Amino acid sequence: MTETTIISTTHLNLYYGDNNAVKDVSMEIPDKRVTALIGPSGCGKSTLIRCFNRMNDLVPGVRITGQIDFRGENIYGRGADPVEIRRKIGMVFQKPNPFPKSVYENVAYGPRIHGINDKKRLDEIVERSLRNAALWDEVNERLKDSAMGLSGGQQQRLCIARTLAVEPEVILMDEPCSALDPIATSKIETLINELKKQYCVIIVTHNMQQAARVSDYTGFMYLGEMIECGTTTQIFEHPREELTENYITGRFG
Amino acid sequence: MTDGKEPPAGKPPENPFPAVLPAGPEAGGFLRDRHQARRYRRETLIRAAWFICAFFAVITIFFIFAFLLLDAYPIFEEIGIWNFLTGPIWNPTGTPPAYGIWPLIVDTILATLLAMAIAIPLGVGSAIYIAELAPYRVKAVVKPAVELLAGIPSVVFGFFGLIVLTTWIRVSFDVPSGETWLAGSLLLALISLPVIISVSEDALSSAPREYKEGSLALGATHWQTISRVLTPAALSGITAAIILGVGRAAGETMAVLMVTGNAPVIPEPIYNVLSPIRTLTGTLGIEMGEVPVDSTHYYALFGVAVVLLVITLVINYTATVVLARIKRQQAPSAADCARKKPEAPGWRERGEAFFRTYRVPIVWGLLALALSGFFGVTGIAATIILYLVVRFVPPRVSPKWEQRVAFSLAGLCIIVVLLSLGVILFDIISKGLPYVTWEFLTSPPSNLGREGGIAPAIVGTMYLVIGSIAIALPLGIGAAIYLTEYAKQGRLVALIRTATDLLNGTPSIVFGLFGFAFLVLYLGFGVCLLAGQITLALMVLPTIIRTTEESLITVPISIREGSLALGASKWQTIRKVVLPPSVPGILTGTILSIGRVAGETAPILFTAVIFSTRFLPSSLFQPVMALPYHLYILATNVPGAKGQQYATALVLLVLVVAFYAIAIWIRYRSSARHHW
Repeated sequence: MTETTIISTTHLNLYYGDNNAVKDVSMEIPDKRVTALIGPSGCGKSTLIRCFNRMNDLVPGVRITGQIDFRGENIYGRGADPVEIRRKIGMVFQKPNPFPKSVYENVAYGPRIHGINDKKRLDEIVERSLRNAALWDEVNERLKDSAMGLSGGQQQRLCIARTLAVEPEVILMDEPCSALDPIATSKIETLINELKKQYCVIIVTHNMQQAARVSDYTGFMYLGEMIECGTTTQIFEHPREELTENYITGRFG
Repeated sequence: MTDGKEPPAGKPPENPFPAVLPAGPEAGGFLRDRHQARRYRRETLIRAAWFICAFFAVITIFFIFAFLLLDAYPIFEEIGIWNFLTGPIWNPTGTPPAYGIWPLIVDTILATLLAMAIAIPLGVGSAIYIAELAPYRVKAVVKPAVELLAGIPSVVFGFFGLIVLTTWIRVSFDVPSGETWLAGSLLLALISLPVIISVSEDALSSAPREYKEGSLALGATHWQTISRVLTPAALSGITAAIILGVGRAAGETMAVLMVTGNAPVIPEPIYNVLSPIRTLTGTLGIEMGEVPVDSTHYYALFGVAVVLLVITLVINYTATVVLARIKRQQAPSAADCARKKPEAPGWRERGEAFFRTYRVPIVWGLLALALSGFFGVTGIAATIILYLVVRFVPPRVSPKWEQRVAFSLAGLCIIVVLLSLGVILFDIISKGLPYVTWEFLTSPPSNLGREGGIAPAIVGTMYLVIGSIAIALPLGIGAAIYLTEYAKQGRLVALIRTATDLLNGTPSIVFGLFGFAFLVLYLGFGVCLLAGQITLALMVLPTIIRTTEESLITVPISIREGSLALGASKWQTIRKVVLPPSVPGILTGTILSIGRVAGETAPILFTAVIFSTRFLPSSLFQPVMALPYHLYILATNVPGAKGQQYATALVLLVLVVAFYAIAIWIRYRSSARHHW
């Protein structure tokens, strides 16, 4: 079976004022796979991933050229609706950012704003999303408690559950484990492996072992440029570029 | 990629996530179809509504200027702006009349300066105590107490000042009359303290906890952390607090009018704090009510209002600019980074460099000047000795000692503040309580208020509060939402922000004059309830905008992003995620506003009130009695009504406290403050 490309970028450039933070990136991202973006701090990987659901629209002074196609349509084209895009392309952030509401309300928030108010259906969605985020067993006793009282790892899985509840097609993860301990991290990694059966997952990480463990494809970025992308095996075992090899073998700088 | 994990064709994989949301259109599915177009229209409408609210501030400030200038123009034409500003004598009823406001300007500045010299150290010290030092239980009492101080109407301060403070000054300084600059400045300090304390305290408390922990983890003492990490981090907030305090003091009318003696003279010598003075605001408060419309004197008073407005606007504008620069230094935006640095240093850079190089002599010089102003040669000598001590006595004090001294001072500040509050409350309660009877509360006044009660005044004040808050709250919240959530930096937004800041600095008496010129005369409302409500609403609008904005800003961006990333629209995000945690902050703003509206006299002086009526207003177009005005007249114009005075003051106080109590209760119920 051949893979279908779900997102592709063409000559994508992003500027903060005069600073060219993402330089001429063209890449294709397959559906139902995990694609990892790696690279040193400040290389533009987080900036790039935030282009995929137009989160950068919120940053003042940002300018974008080139295009990003989602299922063949340019998400920066005329008539593209960022709100609709973000519903299809969900995002999990670096630092867990649950709303200051109960666990239940955090997960029900997305379905509610998309018009589901039926209590029974909401209950179903909340339970399923929490189960799929491997959090249900830990929180089903305290769905009404504030989400701010959960541990960091639980908060992050809650944020994933929250994203699942709106049934996106793509899940973007911006260093989702960087604020978590190893046990919480391994839970999230297991979860990512489950998620790729159903979703396209794009993950930014500066942890190369993590990229090797969870991803099918890897893109290596350096100073805003996409140096190399390919299957994770190829990138880690037979990198084509010297820069990539230096980075993954830790001989950097 | 073909591998063994793929399920065999024909048998679809079991879908653990069956679709329950309505499926979008085909392909990418994010193009606007009819449904999205409708939502888009709704979002645009909502945005437009908030924009109109925000723009209202601009329109108001424009109208205020227009109407004041229109009515002031004849005086400028008749005697010339320069003569008006620098004329040494103000005597509009003499023969020939003299319209020089120089003494009024000087007196205003002096009164504000002395008040700030007292209030800023006390206020910042108290804020540090409340934010950092107070044990939880103490804080739970002290914070509401400070809010309470803010609620005491200025006319009550004026009344207390007139009856108690001036007597004390007369006796202890052995002067013929206690109605002096000192009395005015003491009251102004008390009046501006609450705003300085609460805004500074908020700024200190909201400095990120990481800063504090980072500093403590390096082995810094608590005081070092406060003075070198927290205070700088909260600097913009503290600056804002001081500006608000200055604005409050310079624009205050009733309290100064009642205790400064109102002689339009410059103190002789200039540091004689026991001289009577007369401020710009006081002049308006005294003379506006008795002047025939469209006389030269009438125009001259509008001229005074214009000058007052310009002075306060200049103060506020400077402060706004300073604030914006501090903010930019702390968090430079992408646009600022992108902006190229100018090649040659401009005058501003050179000025700053000059100040940075010579800041030590400048600061000491100013201190010497100030002290010599008050104490003559002794002041200069004191400054020199102080300088030598600071400069040459080696800092042998250990950080622990330093901390102990600093903390004692901060504790002392809060004690002084609370003690003042206690003295005022005790005096009014103990002397007023015997006269507050059921009959007093439920019957109309008779014999010029010496007998009977104050029922119509209580009801009138209620009407004024309800009406003005009903007007100001939606407008203010809407404007704040627009400014924080929608506005992109641009000329128009800058204009709206400036207008709001200027409106905030506009003295309440100027609102009163504007209401008189625009609503009462131009629109022909006459002196009536509605004119008072609108005037008061305009006055508290900036308070509501500002406090709402502040509390919206504290909701972190990451929370907004979390909601937007789920496909929530902007308005959905604001309504469901940003506004709920902001409710306590918005309530705080509303509390402050209610307190101000219930207690303000100046704005309704010429727009809504009459001294005595037996009847309640039956429509919005009838005048009302109001408690603060009633107290003002009783205290200044009705001899032999001491019991009624104290009773009225007490009722006014209790009314305000009741508003406060309700609001504080709502706030504590709705919030266990979020820690992000």
